[in-house]
Amino acid sequence: MALLEVRGMTKRFGGLAAVSEVSFDLQGGEILGLIGPNGSGKTTLVNLVTGALPRTAGEVRFRGGSIHGLSPHAIGRLGVSRTFQIVKPFRNLTVIENVMVGALFGSRGGAPSLAEARRRAEEVLDFVSLSHRAQTAADGLNVPERKRMELARALAMRPAVLLLDEVMAGLNPAEIDAAVALIKRIRDRGTTLIVIEHVMRAIRDLSDRIMVLFHGEKLTEGPPVEVLNNPEVVSAYLGRRYAERAGA
Amino acid sequence: MPPTQWTRAGVAALVVLALSLAPVALSPFLIQFLINLFMLAALAESWNIIGGFTGYASFGNVAFFGIGAYTTGVLLTVLKWPFALALPASGLLAMAFAALVGIPILRLKGHYFAIATLGVAETMREIVYNLKITGGGTGLTMPITKSALPFFYLMFGILVAATAINWWLSASRFGYGLVAIREDEDAAMAMGINAALYKTAAFALSGAFAGLVGGVSAYWITFIDPDGVFKVIITIQMIIMAVFGGMGTVVGPLLGALVLASVSELLSTQLVSLAELFNGLIVILVVLFMPKGLAEVISKREFSLRTLARNLREYRM
Amino acid sequence: MLALQVLVNGILLGGLYGLMALGMSLIWGVMNIVNIAHGALIMLGAYVTFWLFTLWGWDPFVSLPATIVLLFVYGYCLQRFLLNLIVRAQLFLTLLITFGVEVVMVNLARIVWSSDLRQVTPSYAGASFSVSGLTVPYVRLWVFATTVVLSVLFLLILEKTRLGRAIRATSEELRAARLTGIPVAHIYAVTFGLGAALAGAAGGLWGMLFPITPIMGGGLTLKSFVVAVLGGLGTMMGAVVGGLVLGLAESFTATYLGPTYPNAISFGLLVLILIVRPTGLVGRRS
Repeated sequence: MALLEVRGMTKRFGGLAAVSEVSFDLQGGEILGLIGPNGSGKTTLVNLVTGALPRTAGEVRFRGGSIHGLSPHAIGRLGVSRTFQIVKPFRNLTVIENVMVGALFGSRGGAPSLAEARRRAEEVLDFVSLSHRAQTAADGLNVPERKRMELARALAMRPAVLLLDEVMAGLNPAEIDAAVALIKRIRDRGTTLIVIEHVMRAIRDLSDRIMVLFHGEKLTEGPPVEVLNNPEVVSAYLGRRYAERAGA
Repeated sequence: MPPTQWTRAGVAALVVLALSLAPVALSPFLIQFLINLFMLAALAESWNIIGGFTGYASFGNVAFFGIGAYTTGVLLTVLKWPFALALPASGLLAMAFAALVGIPILRLKGHYFAIATLGVAETMREIVYNLKITGGGTGLTMPITKSALPFFYLMFGILVAATAINWWLSASRFGYGLVAIREDEDAAMAMGINAALYKTAAFALSGAFAGLVGGVSAYWITFIDPDGVFKVIITIQMIIMAVFGGMGTVVGPLLGALVLASVSELLSTQLVSLAELFNGLIVILVVLFMPKGLAEVISKREFSLRTLARNLREYRM
Repeated sequence: MLALQVLVNGILLGGLYGLMALGMSLIWGVMNIVNIAHGALIMLGAYVTFWLFTLWGWDPFVSLPATIVLLFVYGYCLQRFLLNLIVRAQLFLTLLITFGVEVVMVNLARIVWSSDLRQVTPSYAGASFSVSGLTVPYVRLWVFATTVVLSVLFLLILEKTRLGRAIRATSEELRAARLTGIPVAHIYAVTFGLGAALAGAAGGLWGMLFPITPIMGGGLTLKSFVVAVLGGLGTMMGAVVGGLVLGLAESFTATYLGPTYPNAISFGLLVLILIVRPTGLVGRRS
């Protein structure tokens, strides 16, 4: 039984289908890469799975149980966490307080006390190398630090499944390498991940499997080497001409 | 607790002790002033729960004050309950009402929420005006009590309780949840916070304290009528004191109440319109010059004309 | 026949509500300011009309342009020198400051003009005409006609003139408007002035039908808000439609349920609309 099973997920806005009949399995311990051009429905899919957006049709099962109709907070408590593509820091709180919120309310009810939550937050900050900024107001971080705090917050929830939405956007190559290493360490600690990214070399390096969305539909799925050389995938991203050059 | 927490707790305990002994040493005039101050401070602390911590700026909290006042009024005059029972009932009823009304209204945001809360207060006034049991437009008169002392201690007790709740919020899981909701409700929900439940609970708490204050006020002033008890200016006073002192902090509303009530007293006149006029001017001045409140000024330890000028320019076009 | 009378009364009143709401909707739509002092502006317009009538004998319909100009200037100054200072603050602070303005205005009025009830009673005040069982007071009819004329004039200004285009551009995209050379501080002030002028005109007309007191504005602010939301924020047609709906609702509840119910109905409508269809009857879903 897969950790997360999604069947026929569909979301329509008026006449437009943002996500259409997407089905996939997420096996425990794997990193599933999710790619697709802008507007292909990746973030919408995350919103649907986490209950942030009501679905038009489709089923989600987590650990065998249906999570259909549950509110985002309930799904978060069950053990499915996510980061936001445009980060949503708690601006007037310090970095450690931000992460403590995750620790306090995470999976299975979160930490039993403020002191325990603080301890967990310190540990997570250390894990993502943000300890030196613990007492800084969230407002005062630069872009890579904000991304790491967003990640730390979700990690503090101790999720079984973590959905990362473009955490590497805006990072330079060295920062990207550090992020890749960090994500691998997260998987090694026992969290299953879905990683949405545009940075191809990162996705290729990270993913066990890659799923491609295009215009809201699942185009294909498979090992990175196969998927990234698939002419249809290249065509979806870069247009037909490049695909022809790649030998469609 | 670290040393600063001990000193803060110590100072708080001293203040509480001093104030409890105050009636022995103070003139009746000062006692009246303090009762009024406690009332305003308690209202400001109660508003702080929903407005400061949770970030839902309600403009209709006077509704809960009025419900508390009228519950006490009706229970005392019509049903002849003793005050010791009427007061808790007032708090409970105001709390229940806030929870009930909160469920649909807290789904609204920004302007819509603010105006909806205003509408609730206005509707309550209309309803009370039209009911016979509340005495309609003529109002209710309570039995007279001889001494101001019980009211002093009652108001003080409610203030201490309201402040204690705020202090608890600043250092508890529930409080963290509320602040998270204020900062970013979607993120808060994604992180496992049941926003709907928490918001409603905060609103209910806020209403409970406002109701208790209303109950005591009714008995103290001995006469209540719809226009007097559901006055919008009461909500505005609550808000501006919390804002001036520092929204979302524990001590802010207290500071705000202390300063603004004292200023009002200094400027006080027989003419109600003049007093209200000053209130309105204070509101405008505070929003222009000190929107972040005293607490921020104190924590940053800088206060000068330059600070004021900077605040003035901060939000302009 | 009673139903028809109630209908006519509702429409006549609804036109006035629509005019009131136009002013609030304009300011809200363009600058995202919910003006709590809106009712106070209506009150000011009513008093201006009253004093022009009482001191100099100016017929209230004739003095309307003067009221409009005075309120425009007042509104312009209010925005330019006070409200422009807090446009970028959080919503809640702008609400708070307009509350302060309302309190100041109402209490100044109480101090200067006292709380005595005033009324504008021109010679034709009581006259009415009847047609097939319907009684229509002349004043109400002319007030309605005036609201129609003013509303149309205003909508024309907004749609067809250069000023109107500048206002609409500023409301849609402030930064872009600035970049194209539109003097936004001035446009904001003009917008508020227009909103105040509309409110003042509505106040002048209101004063011909109902008593004038310093505190008349509070309920009218809320009603204007109800109408603006009912019709749909930012759509001027919506204010007109919303006004008619509220006018009719109040007329019918006053007649068939009792005179104390209309206010409760308006607030009930407000809460209902906010929960069920926040974009209003005419507004587009965002």
